[in-house]
Amino acid sequence: MNEKYARITKDGLWNNNVVFAQMLALCPLLAVTSSATNGLGMGLASTAVLLLSNIIVSSVRHLISPEVRIPVYIVLIATLVTLVDMSLNAWAHELYKVLGLFIALIVVNCAILGRAEAFASKNSVLDAALDGLMMGLGFTFALVVIGGVREIFGSGTLFANAHLLLGPAFAFLELTIVPQYKGFLLMILPPGGFLVTGLLLAWKRVLDARRAEKAALVAEEAAS
Amino acid sequence: MKLEELRGKLIYQALLVGAAALLTSALLSFFSQATEADIKAAEEADLKASLAQVLPGAYENDLLKDTVTLPGKEGEVLVYRGRRKGKVEAVVYQVSGNGYAGSIVCVMGVSREGKILGVRVIKHKETPGLGDKIEPAKGDWIHSFEGRWLGDPVTEKWAVKKDGGVFDQFAGATITPRGVVNAVKGGLAFFEGNKAQLLDEGVQP
Amino acid sequence: MNPIAHSPHAHAPASIGKVMATVLLALVPATLFGFWLYGWPAVNLWAVALIAAIAGEAFVVRMQGRKVRTVIMDGSGILTAWLLALSLPPYAPWWIAVLGSLFAVIIGKQVFGGLGQNVFNPAMAARVMLLISFPLEMTTWVAPSQAPGLLESLRITFLSQPIDGMASASLLGHVKTEFTRGIGLDQALVGYYTPMDMLWGSRAGSLGETAAVLLLIGGLFLIARRIITWHAPFAMLLGVAVPALLFNAIDANHYAGPMVHLLSGGLMLGAFFIVTDPVTSPNTALGQFIFGLGCGMLTWIIRTWGGYPEGVAFAVLLMNAATPIIDQYVKPRIYGRDRKGVALVVKKEL
Repeated sequence: MNEKYARITKDGLWNNNVVFAQMLALCPLLAVTSSATNGLGMGLASTAVLLLSNIIVSSVRHLISPEVRIPVYIVLIATLVTLVDMSLNAWAHELYKVLGLFIALIVVNCAILGRAEAFASKNSVLDAALDGLMMGLGFTFALVVIGGVREIFGSGTLFANAHLLLGPAFAFLELTIVPQYKGFLLMILPPGGFLVTGLLLAWKRVLDARRAEKAALVAEEAAS
Repeated sequence: MKLEELRGKLIYQALLVGAAALLTSALLSFFSQATEADIKAAEEADLKASLAQVLPGAYENDLLKDTVTLPGKEGEVLVYRGRRKGKVEAVVYQVSGNGYAGSIVCVMGVSREGKILGVRVIKHKETPGLGDKIEPAKGDWIHSFEGRWLGDPVTEKWAVKKDGGVFDQFAGATITPRGVVNAVKGGLAFFEGNKAQLLDEGVQP
Repeated sequence: MNPIAHSPHAHAPASIGKVMATVLLALVPATLFGFWLYGWPAVNLWAVALIAAIAGEAFVVRMQGRKVRTVIMDGSGILTAWLLALSLPPYAPWWIAVLGSLFAVIIGKQVFGGLGQNVFNPAMAARVMLLISFPLEMTTWVAPSQAPGLLESLRITFLSQPIDGMASASLLGHVKTEFTRGIGLDQALVGYYTPMDMLWGSRAGSLGETAAVLLLIGGLFLIARRIITWHAPFAMLLGVAVPALLFNAIDANHYAGPMVHLLSGGLMLGAFFIVTDPVTSPNTALGQFIFGLGCGMLTWIIRTWGGYPEGVAFAVLLMNAATPIIDQYVKPRIYGRDRKGVALVVKKEL
């Protein structure tokens, strides 16, 4: 049983990462990752929606006819996103001003529908919750890494304006990597998102290939 | 299993989608009502904060409630008025000018004497790295308007240096600051032209 | 088995290296003119661009485990860097050339798999990258006729020493700026546009884009040597000239005439040296004509209504993206088959 949870966790964070393996959710990804803080905010909001939608879909999975599952899922997800949107707007307005534009984008995040379809509708509530959480964290990880790289190269800072998102206690996160940096606008603009995402994808493949090579070597030694 | 059989029936599927839609709509409308007041309050606080940027100091009235709409060069202009001791001490309104890539929308605050209290660009599409120095976050150029009025500098000098005026242009970008200067100049002319209504002193008892 | 069969043999086309060398030769006059016109800073910039491209390409080819010498000696990286250098403002700082060259050969070419695999023209991709990233450095032009000494030129290129009183505007940029002041073309062009200067290239502009006549001669030389065909260049010039002529006839005060358009910006360099790139343009004569026409019209549209004063690089990239579609619809006829690929039936004469 523990092994199963370990697998779900590992799948969500790395092996089957929403961005780096499934290549989903690229639209919100390219739109928000001009800085690490934006990436973090979008990632956390998506994680919340993903967790909730997985739990709900999983708990009603026996009631839903396969023929009409897609419209039902979409209505559920859209409602969830709208609820998150409204509650942030009402009770966390500062945060909403940073993220407001992107919250609505969560609806078009195909990763959420994808997980509902591929995992939550076939597994128990607990498993689905864990999957939603881990997939969300994996997505957040990808957004923060891409946003961080773009921010460092693009404007020479890291986690700028983090206090707007997380509160003044997190102001220590805000770093100026290169003082007096002129700025490399390409990285902040959409093409930079494509470039960095592509290079990171290549980097993950290299890492995985190396690991597989090592594993093969170990297996060979063990066999001989 | 009975449920399995039921799930295949067309009527069940129709009812299922209907129920899902009904439930979520009910939830949404309930939530919308619950958050409406808070959202409105937050947005008003937001607007007030941005008005305060171009209208420093305290005013006794609620700016958002004391408004007047006047015909301007490009349609109606909504003016917010700040009062002290019943007299209108300052007004805030939007002006716009033509930039390099579309219009630049500014909000400006003007004192009762016709002096500029502050200008902020609230919407523009200028080239990043060149024209966006009109944003206060990227340069303090926009502050160069503060305290100026139509007599300082004289009307002919209300232009960027390249056109013989007093305001700096940016290296590589002349069109953007030119657009903003023209917009602000037009805004001051609007103030002079509508002074009586703006200051609420049109009809003397 | 010996691969060489009996004669007669078809003459093999020139090697890649030879083709590239001919193209470089055709660029030499315009380049030398640029050096003469803008002085030592131009030479520095050109040299930096070439060195960066060679070093960068050697590095990534080595990482791929391929033979460095073969790749460098095919000359394509050098040509790319050369074209990029010609499209830069002559007093640009050194890192502009380095970044641009590295971007061109690594991101623009090697990432796709090297020569022949790239979708976009590497030099133009790098130029667009530089333009949107560093709009200030990429639009700081200088008027010719100042000639800084060698030492001063090193300071301009490597220390980005400010060039007081030397900044100037390119013709297209100047016209665009004047429009916003409500000044019409007839006045905006006074003192800025003299046909003879435009023709010879004695004006503010990119390092090697101004000498229209010399570039034209280089292009004609390439056509004569059968390195390129006339279709794409001619179509591109046509694509700019026709709308310019039409709109100039409608409102001469707001739309520049065809000569202004043909002789300014990077059009001549683009028409003869960029849109003729065999890798990123269609394969057939008709396809190349369509490609060139598209480049020309987009250039004119971007210059006239776009956000930037010059549009050659953007137009080329957009049409590069359309190249596979053009190739899909304009296929050469297979010998013995009709256009749809159906075998021809030979009717026997009775």
